[in-house]
Amino acid sequence: MTSKRLRYPLIAAAVGALLLVAADLQPAFAHKEKHTADQLQAFEDVFMEQVKLGDLLFHGDPATEKQLRVKLSGTGMACAMCHPYASDVHPHEFPKFQEQMNEFATLRNMINWCIEKPNEGEKIDADGPAMKALEAYIYWSNRNSKLDPGRH
Amino acid sequence: MSDREVLRREMEQTLSPPGERPDSSTVITRRTFLHKSLLYGTAGAAAYGLFPILNTIDLAFGQAGQSFKFAWISDTHLYPKNVNTRFVEKAVRAFKEVQEMNPPADFLIFGGDLGQLGDPVELQLGADLLKEVKLKKVFIPGEHDWYLDMGATWNKMFGKAPWSFDHKGVRFIGLDTISHAEDFWTARKMSAKDRMGHMATLDGTLGGAWAGVGAEQLKWLNGALASWPKNQPVVVFSHNPLYEYYPPWNFWVRDWREVHEILKPFSNVTNVHGHTHQVLYNEIGKMRSIGMLATSWPWPYAPEGLPALTQPMIRADPGDHFDGVGWSGLTMTANARVENEYKMWRKEVFAVAPPDSGSEDNRNQILSPRLADRI
Repeated sequence: MTSKRLRYPLIAAAVGALLLVAADLQPAFAHKEKHTADQLQAFEDVFMEQVKLGDLLFHGDPATEKQLRVKLSGTGMACAMCHPYASDVHPHEFPKFQEQMNEFATLRNMINWCIEKPNEGEKIDADGPAMKALEAYIYWSNRNSKLDPGRH
Repeated sequence: MSDREVLRREMEQTLSPPGERPDSSTVITRRTFLHKSLLYGTAGAAAYGLFPILNTIDLAFGQAGQSFKFAWISDTHLYPKNVNTRFVEKAVRAFKEVQEMNPPADFLIFGGDLGQLGDPVELQLGADLLKEVKLKKVFIPGEHDWYLDMGATWNKMFGKAPWSFDHKGVRFIGLDTISHAEDFWTARKMSAKDRMGHMATLDGTLGGAWAGVGAEQLKWLNGALASWPKNQPVVVFSHNPLYEYYPPWNFWVRDWREVHEILKPFSNVTNVHGHTHQVLYNEIGKMRSIGMLATSWPWPYAPEGLPALTQPMIRADPGDHFDGVGWSGLTMTANARVENEYKMWRKEVFAVAPPDSGSEDNRNQILSPRLADRI
């Protein structure tokens, strides 16, 4: 016969084991706790901060270029001069074969091509902060566009 | 349907009542007809909505028998030569081609945005390059020429607008549609350079609905046309289009309805405008409106509001800075026909289908004003 001293820890262990099994059977989305409103706001803030930085780069703000140590144009032209509202960029169509580059290209490839060729600027780090900010602004400006990779 | 779309339809119904069309002399020239027929066949051309054709405009020419040409160049957006020379090269090419027109043009209208940031160096460069053109030259300003010193250099070098003159039976009018921005700079303590920078940003928001004619100029326009016979041709030059295409980029003038009220009694009015850097055509009531190319760079078509009568141009190749740009030659023939020809420096001007022009891009895109302007 089990003594009272042993009985309670055994019950607790059994309940714990059952909970673990039950947790394992739950749908995958429950593996994390629900985000709080504050957390969601923080995620949004991080994203929008990048969008704003990208907006400034896209519109040729010299201070932001200096801050991120990039030179996006050697002609005085800024991205937004050909792409107001980031229109005619089509981020939702990448990756695709890009005729001007004669290769299969990602959006980041295309951004660098535009910087180097029409804008006569200096190619930027494909994974660097300036590229991430530009990408954030371009995607944000085209949100709700239909994903259509490969379309030319 | 958005409020803007409802308003647009209401205005079009008001200004274009059933049965009222522009002068019936809108026809297709043989040359243009053959061009379109070869491409699509006649039925195909109709199916693609190529009629009424853009290139050809007939004016009910009051003094028959006198043919003449004139040329339009605008939106050269010159930078000082030490910044870039690509826009200089294209401006030089356009000026040279206008000078070489045969038969020669009677005059050149420069439609604004000679410089990029209103710098006197840019405007002087433009004036120097324009010496290539020995013809009579008339000027209207663009916003890029203006907001560094509020038009002081421009007016001194190129004269004030509005103006009008008569030439072989046509009344030509040049408007100033750019100098009427609300003051957004004083309260923000902006420098002149900052003010110019904001005005030079097409998708910026601080300048607001800066394109307008203004009460004083409307009065002037009314007076300038008061004695002109209602059936005689009138050609109005403006930097911005005299109708509502896309206000967020000032592809309009905010008081376009008042302008139309003044022009309404005239049976034959043509508006020729710059600013939009693209092939455009529209009709409001009896007025036709033709958008001119820039020599500097082409803008994409706006996300909404493109006039249904426009046959869009082919999307430009960003790798070729001579693509999608150019100037216009307009000819009034002896039998009172005026033809507008886009000189785009490439073989084909018009797109066959929307994807070729980008005119139906971003249908789902959520459009947002600049975050960086929220200051």
